[in-house]
Amino acid sequence: MAEEGTVNLGRLREAHQKVVTDCESRIQHWKKVSDDYKALNDRLETLPDQLSYDIMVPFGPLAFMPGKLVHTNELTVLLGDNWFAKCSAKQARNLIDHRMNYVRKELDDLSKTMTNFEARVGFAKSLETLSASKGDYVDIREEVGNNDSAVTKGKQRMAHKPNSKPKTDAVFDLKEEDEENDEETSARKGLLSESDLWARLDELERLEELQDERDRLCDVTEMNAEDSSSSSSEEEKEADVAPPVNGLSLKPSWSSAPHSKQPLAERKEDEEDEEEGHCLPTIFFSHTVEPKKVRINTGKNTTLKFSERKEQKEHSKRKKKNGHSNGHSHHELFKITTPADIYRLFVDVRNGEPVPRKSILKSRSRENSVCSDTSESSAADFEERRVMGRSFSHDETHSDNSDGITEEDSPTAVPLLMPSRFEAFSGTVIEKDPMPTAVPHLTIIPPALPTILERKQEEVAPDVAPPQQAPKRVSKFKAARLQQK
Amino acid sequence: MADAIQKKLKAELEKYTQLQKDVSKSMSSRQKLETQLTENKIVKEELDLLDSANTVYKLIGPVLVKQDLDEAKATVGKRLEYITGELQRYETLLKDMEKKSEQHREVLTSLQQDFQKAQGLAVGN
Repeated sequence: MAEEGTVNLGRLREAHQKVVTDCESRIQHWKKVSDDYKALNDRLETLPDQLSYDIMVPFGPLAFMPGKLVHTNELTVLLGDNWFAKCSAKQARNLIDHRMNYVRKELDDLSKTMTNFEARVGFAKSLETLSASKGDYVDIREEVGNNDSAVTKGKQRMAHKPNSKPKTDAVFDLKEEDEENDEETSARKGLLSESDLWARLDELERLEELQDERDRLCDVTEMNAEDSSSSSSEEEKEADVAPPVNGLSLKPSWSSAPHSKQPLAERKEDEEDEEEGHCLPTIFFSHTVEPKKVRINTGKNTTLKFSERKEQKEHSKRKKKNGHSNGHSHHELFKITTPADIYRLFVDVRNGEPVPRKSILKSRSRENSVCSDTSESSAADFEERRVMGRSFSHDETHSDNSDGITEEDSPTAVPLLMPSRFEAFSGTVIEKDPMPTAVPHLTIIPPALPTILERKQEEVAPDVAPPQQAPKRVSKFKAARLQQK
Repeated sequence: MADAIQKKLKAELEKYTQLQKDVSKSMSSRQKLETQLTENKIVKEELDLLDSANTVYKLIGPVLVKQDLDEAKATVGKRLEYITGELQRYETLLKDMEKKSEQHREVLTSLQQDFQKAQGLAVGN
């Protein structure tokens, strides 16, 4: 395969090279023509100066005869296609200028094509060496495949996993030659999987309509993130246009085993969106530690924490700026006071911005989705987790909001915070190392740390639905357990 | 079996090569037409640059025949139209020929496969 590829590439390169050499020869020809016309122009300029010139007239192929050049201003010009015209020198010069325009145009076109093909030749060469060294193009394809799976997962890995592009997107990606083969293969795979996905989609749509909507919202951001990571931006638009497609692309990820965590995270993300209600899911998180988040998705909670911490710091700062009123905080969240706010609010902004948010969502969504898995948890567990979640949340908020602004004892703050959850971020931030406080929690709900903060923020924000919040906590614990498993 | 297929293959191959030759011929004539088109375009433009004061000649064989400027312009215009019409005709012709050659190519490949199978069978036998 690799050999065939290299052979084909070699032939491609040779073909391109042929075109380039052909262009070069043509350019040479036209340059000569241009020079001749220039010389002729100069000659015509001086020719009418004298009435007659003494010249040596060619007499046959071997001899010259002295003679005179008369009627210096009368020229018979060949117009082309066996047409002649008698003109003066000046008119002839006009004709020459007209022809020079044509020659110049030809030269420009040829040089353009030559540069174009030279670029192609260079590309083919690099591709050849690449394929020769690596042995095949499979690597690229696999990346696309990974993208597909990651994209299907949705929001979490968008930033980190360029592979996370739905197969449908891969079909639309036409920009890079490298991906051409990948596109074909991925398109085929996409087609095959889509049919399966449709069946799955019907099953899941009933259960997760809200999630689909959230997915669309998040997908927009994800698509944007993907653009930053990948070359094609068309895919995102089309992905946005076709929510069911996104749903489809998301579905297979749920079915794929290696990405088992991602679907959970997605669900959590969706539910997180639900919990926040009209708030954008990324409201509470703004951070730039994307790679950490990727790791988080893979199950490393510690990295998640770090990113979460940063987000929480920023958020708490923002909250302080915006004041302590819960209702206002919600509105203020939509205000853009810092660049980080953009990350928060503008999900639809198509730049690299959404990516971090996505990752934020992903990390948080896991926790939130855990909370949303109310169906899985019994009522008893529900209450237990609620309490635990609250206590943890309070601790977490302290630890997460380690802005160093204020320091309080978490235990003392806990009872205070318990009654007034909405004032959790009223400025009293304990600068703590989240790890020590989180360690006990880690064993239970490692990802819950950031989500707890989220929950608090949500609570601070308009009370969307307390019962919804409670279930969230429950699911978080469960999610943590699930993740640990 | 194999011989029959071989004969068929040869016949198809000949037809295909013939078609290819026709295609190349029409391609070259089409290219000629294209150059003539550009040339006549330039002549027309240059004739527009001139005025009636200049005499226009047409080369017919070894003779330069005087022509009227307006007549020359009309003639060149008519020739241009004729050339464009011919070009279109050649385009359609080329397309048809390409399609036919494609069909022949497919037939050839299928025949080749059959021939190889038959040969394999013959060798096995």
